[in-house]
Amino acid sequence: MLLNREGSGSRWRIRPDGPSKVTGQLSYLTDMTAEGMLYGLVLRSEHPHARILSIDTDAAKQASGVRAVLTYLDVPGLNAFGIAHPDQPVLCEDRVRYVGDAVATVAAETLEEAEYALMLIKVEYEPLPVLDDAEAALAPEAVKLHEKGNLLHHAGYSKGDLAEGFAGCVHVVEETYYTPRQMHTYMETEGGLFVPGEDGRLTVYAPTQHGFMDRMQLSRILDLPQQQIRIVSSPIGGSFGGKDELNVQPYGALLALRTGLPVKFHNSRWESVRAGLKRHPMKITMKTGTNAEGKLIAHQVRIIADTGPYSTLGAEVLNFAVEHVIGPYVYEHLDINGYSAFTNNGMSGEFRGFGGNQAIFALEGQLDRLAELHGMDSWSFRKLNMRRTGDTGPFNQPIAQTDGAEQVWSVVAGSELWKEKDKEQTSNQPPWIKTGVGAAFVMHGAGLGVGIPDPAGGRLQLAKDGKIEAVFGYEEFGQGLIASLELMLIEQFGFAASDLRIVIGDTDIVPDSGSTTASRATAMMWKSLERMRVPFEEAIIARATVAAGLAVDQLQLGEGGVRRKGSEELIISYEQLAQLEGEPVKSETSFHFPTSSVDRIGAHFMYTYSAVAVKIELNTLTGRVNVLKQLHAVAAGPVVNPQGFLGQIEGGSSMALGFTLTEDAVMDKGYYMTRNLDTYLVPTIADQRGDVEVVAIEQLPEGDTYGPRGIGEVGSVTLAPAIASAIRAASGKWVTKLPVQPSFLQEQPAFLQKAVD
Amino acid sequence: MGDKAADASTAYKLSCTLNGKETEMETAPARKLLSILRDDLELTGTKRSCEIGRCGACMVLIDGKAVNSCLTMAYQCEGKSIDTVEGVSAGGIDPIQQAFLEEGGFQCGYCTPGMIISVKALLDGNPEPNDDEIAEALSGNICRCTGYGGIWRAVRLAAERRRQPS
Repeated sequence: MLLNREGSGSRWRIRPDGPSKVTGQLSYLTDMTAEGMLYGLVLRSEHPHARILSIDTDAAKQASGVRAVLTYLDVPGLNAFGIAHPDQPVLCEDRVRYVGDAVATVAAETLEEAEYALMLIKVEYEPLPVLDDAEAALAPEAVKLHEKGNLLHHAGYSKGDLAEGFAGCVHVVEETYYTPRQMHTYMETEGGLFVPGEDGRLTVYAPTQHGFMDRMQLSRILDLPQQQIRIVSSPIGGSFGGKDELNVQPYGALLALRTGLPVKFHNSRWESVRAGLKRHPMKITMKTGTNAEGKLIAHQVRIIADTGPYSTLGAEVLNFAVEHVIGPYVYEHLDINGYSAFTNNGMSGEFRGFGGNQAIFALEGQLDRLAELHGMDSWSFRKLNMRRTGDTGPFNQPIAQTDGAEQVWSVVAGSELWKEKDKEQTSNQPPWIKTGVGAAFVMHGAGLGVGIPDPAGGRLQLAKDGKIEAVFGYEEFGQGLIASLELMLIEQFGFAASDLRIVIGDTDIVPDSGSTTASRATAMMWKSLERMRVPFEEAIIARATVAAGLAVDQLQLGEGGVRRKGSEELIISYEQLAQLEGEPVKSETSFHFPTSSVDRIGAHFMYTYSAVAVKIELNTLTGRVNVLKQLHAVAAGPVVNPQGFLGQIEGGSSMALGFTLTEDAVMDKGYYMTRNLDTYLVPTIADQRGDVEVVAIEQLPEGDTYGPRGIGEVGSVTLAPAIASAIRAASGKWVTKLPVQPSFLQEQPAFLQKAVD
Repeated sequence: MGDKAADASTAYKLSCTLNGKETEMETAPARKLLSILRDDLELTGTKRSCEIGRCGACMVLIDGKAVNSCLTMAYQCEGKSIDTVEGVSAGGIDPIQQAFLEEGGFQCGYCTPGMIISVKALLDGNPEPNDDEIAEALSGNICRCTGYGGIWRAVRLAAERRRQPS
């Protein structure tokens, strides 16, 4: 199904949060203010790596308007955070390990006074050697950034006998691929409002992707019971993984509790760049061999990931990359080794695609090179080596079966775009304009994987005012979660939009539905509603039968209230029902994200399949690539919300366009060179003028109980190798390093050579 | 970020028209319009993001032209007519906003007020823009969520509806 407004009919809806967004009325958490609030700022390290000799806050404390200046001495609980492994200091005590490390935090009556106070804090540093290269950090002689050394995590996988495998190969391709330090670049930088209550409780209004995780982490830091902390975390002006980890929350919380006053934080862009997460830069070396028929025989991979100074989810990202460098293909012999190294560069962490982006760029590059050596069409070559329905996953683990691989492959194979591949380059173009068509393929895992707590669930209830409340612990950061939930409730239960109240993002009210990450939330809402539908319907109808004196089988849920089956006559409104005596009308469910039965941390069970074909235009004078057409085929089960689905694929692919052509947070010796959007270049509308077609394949095997698969990330992982493939077709050059440098693609035009001769 | 030097300088009375109302306020001549709107007047529809005029989240109309309010100082607004997204929305949902709603021209919504302002400035000056003109007019507004697909559709729809009023 070609996904667009016309073909979606009445399912294409205006988002419930739309009117307040287009009019500017929506109050984001960084728009909030409170009477008598203070402004908070953080003093961050001047050095990528240094010993702290002393911190003198006396002058700052005495400055006008300053209400608190806090250092490590003022952290009552654990002076560290990190979702998986808390090793990032809230406030550094004796050592700083990157330029975003926090040393002190200040609250003052005005922003200007807070800025001035930061200037008055004197920190004496003794600079230490800077580890700005992940491989160098793993050398035995490297200075140790942590007690256990500089290896955050090693992840490996092997089967067969690699030497034997390569010995039998006809063709072997060996290549090293490099990927950039991509920045999330959410338009709303980190921030929020921190409000202490008279009852000793603290309310945190700050974006996150998992409110209960923030609550647990803040509880550890503040030495305050979790019930004393309320996290309000939506709406959010973009996240893409970047606000999953704590950012300003520890400082806002500490300052609010210390001063007893509300404290506001809102990072400047430079503060956000300096302290925030980025995508792991990876160096991926692959050696891959095939037999005479073109079957993949042996595949050896070494991944080096630069994780920066602290853990966050660096180990989990590496696990994901290791899984996805194997990907959707079958091999006889495998040897994969990934290393995630601590360095003094910026923090790397969770980011849409989660290590898949880097892995798939490298793997698909190998497939293209091998196809060429065999003189085969690259798409047929993929088909020859692809996992089939019934096959296990990359780690030989049982997976939820679909025909997705074959389905998305066929869409590209039969597309007009792919057929353009074999056409001669049109001659009416100037000689320096070259075109090319390329394609790539992926299976992308969803959920956190085996061995990681991955709870799901939600609650439906009839509120006192007659609204049907859908209560979930998920977040709205723009993806359209509220719109998707509304549409599911309308379609599955028969409610009208006006019957509903959707409640999310408030730990005082919502159940722990797990994180809004890993392409999981929509699938888990769908499953939750499926589990709650019958009991919730029964509870409403049971109450209605008593009031209306009609039998259960004569009634059904409908718009506005319970209606007579067949005639649709309104028997009793939800508002009237809510006023009746009786057991609360409520249904709750909690369960775990489906996992594979394999004993391997992080292995996935549910996958989304996607194939992307692109046509590009390369100007060999400027070295610039212009993407003219994109076709995305996505097999992810039923389309829950067509506008949201299309938006996720279009938006994800735009992020991938930046990853491929322009985006890189450049660092030199541990310092950021790109500090704002004048040098860090994300795609603008002028870069996105080509057509993007999205074909959604909804069909699932008979008896599938898992429903819609995740689509939040898959749009962002496959475009880079497809463009690289098209660049090869256009220029004859193999891309190994992203973003593609224009200088790499520039050529001296023939007429210039003549002039010189 | 506020500008300490500017804020500390001598008081100045700014007279301008804001969202159709004649307005006078005491401020510092070099105070950023963005700070005046968001922090002093609590008109938070105008967003803060890069503060160097690259992203367009803070755009407002000054005498009908789209301008980055993060690069505009109070004295530069003297006698001018300033419209923020709140002003554009004052009479209900504007047809441009309606087109964004229908086409899904937004996701997180943080860039949307600035984007709406730029589209309004474009269509007010050029009711039938071609794709080059749309790309030029909106290339100072960064949207990180949509990939601009919904924005292209919304701008084309808004332009079409202006030509054929229903």
